[in-house]
Amino acid sequence: MRHSYFAVFRLAAGVALLLPALTQAQSTPAPNRVDGYGAPSSGAAGSATFGSHGETEVNILSSYYQQDGDHSAVEGGRGTQQLTDLTPTIILNVPLDSATRISANVGVDYYASASTDRIDQVLSSPSAHDTRYHLDLGLTRQLADKRTIVGLGAGVSNEYDYRSFNLVASWSRASADGNRELSVAGQAFFDQATIIRPLELRTNGRREDGTDTRQSYNLNIVYAQVLSQRLQLAFSTELVAQRGLLSTPFHRVYFRETGSVYGTAKAELLPRLRYKYPVGLRLTYYATDLVQVRAYYRFYNDNFGIRAHTLELETPVKVTPFFVLYPFYRYHTQTAATYFAPYLQHSVTDEYYTSDYDLADFSAHKLGLGLRYSPVYGIGRFKTPFGRRVAKFKALDLRYAHYRQSTGLTASLFSADLSFTMP
Amino acid sequence: MTFTLSFLFRPRLVLGAALLAAGDGLTGCVSVAAYQKVYLNDEDMKLAGKRIEVYETNFESYREGAGGANGGKVGGGCGCN
Repeated sequence: MRHSYFAVFRLAAGVALLLPALTQAQSTPAPNRVDGYGAPSSGAAGSATFGSHGETEVNILSSYYQQDGDHSAVEGGRGTQQLTDLTPTIILNVPLDSATRISANVGVDYYASASTDRIDQVLSSPSAHDTRYHLDLGLTRQLADKRTIVGLGAGVSNEYDYRSFNLVASWSRASADGNRELSVAGQAFFDQATIIRPLELRTNGRREDGTDTRQSYNLNIVYAQVLSQRLQLAFSTELVAQRGLLSTPFHRVYFRETGSVYGTAKAELLPRLRYKYPVGLRLTYYATDLVQVRAYYRFYNDNFGIRAHTLELETPVKVTPFFVLYPFYRYHTQTAATYFAPYLQHSVTDEYYTSDYDLADFSAHKLGLGLRYSPVYGIGRFKTPFGRRVAKFKALDLRYAHYRQSTGLTASLFSADLSFTMP
Repeated sequence: MTFTLSFLFRPRLVLGAALLAAGDGLTGCVSVAAYQKVYLNDEDMKLAGKRIEVYETNFESYREGAGGANGGKVGGGCGCN
């Protein structure tokens, strides 16, 4: 045991030295959750058994995101939405013993936004840029019954005007035959935002005008069920209660009575309480040895008046047993928030107001293609610089998606996931 | 001409489609033994989004008023919706 703790320490030190900008890290237990969200899986309903490999897993992920549109919330619902975002992330998953794992996740979002720059200068052209850092730590333990997993985690993130701290606790239990699983996770976020108003709305002459807080409480429940040797599904819900600053003070709103004269805009104002009720159904079907079907549907409702439906379909095609191509498509439609109106459509008598098109009535299509290469003996092997251990480059996952909203917003995202394991 | 799929989102239609899709299993909701799970254990059969998908679910959470129940951000931790 003492040896394994020492090995973990050596590994962590190695990664920290290799990547000084990223320092130490932790991640959340579930593989699909990278940034501060997570519930563990006990391995039922077709997933891998907890701790079955006993290997240290390292994932290096990155994405490049680019968007453009002409409904910037900073300028009251008009103006460029041009934005780029680069997000390198490292996830470590380290077994301490046969039942306990620690996970670490550290990442950076480096973004450049043309609209953010217009907080200070309405029609400037250079882009503002900023960096967001996030760090999440997690610990999961499989109990003696081999069917129950409990987890605890915490995380922080920081950017120039927003800081966040979160705590997560999770519980998951599989049925004796492994055909059903119930997972429950609760998470609380405690955020602090620096108030930044548009240049013409500042009363103290400074860019920053104090701080405000936001608390978010999430309850995530997932029930998974095997239906046959080829079919399984999962119901999920993620109830959210948010309290505090929910508007963005540097978003302008122009009113029809006062027009678009410089200085007549107000800062966006939204209620300080929000409840979200999303419900999802995920289904996977092993149609043939060549093609599988992955489907997901979500219904969403909240007290801002947004009602949304989302449908996703993915059909992995096994070109060879180790090389998979997976085309995917997503459709999303939503109604507008009660407090949304386009540029110059709000009235000064409105209690709450926003011209943020994220809260508008629109539909969106996403289309893309991914490929995964994961040979059974790995893509390659190499010795690590510290500890002289042999690491395996296990799998490579690449993915491209193109997204288009009926508001005119378009976006492209390229993502990569490189998986490594160490004994 | 705007292409829309909103006709798909009638509750009865969705429920019917889900039941039809699940029909294979609902014929008994049989207990599948561990040795019969060769298909279910396939990488592409996991009942969760892929790790690499998280960037997409995150940007969708930023760009859409709706989010959650899919492993992405749903509130807190960022200045998003």
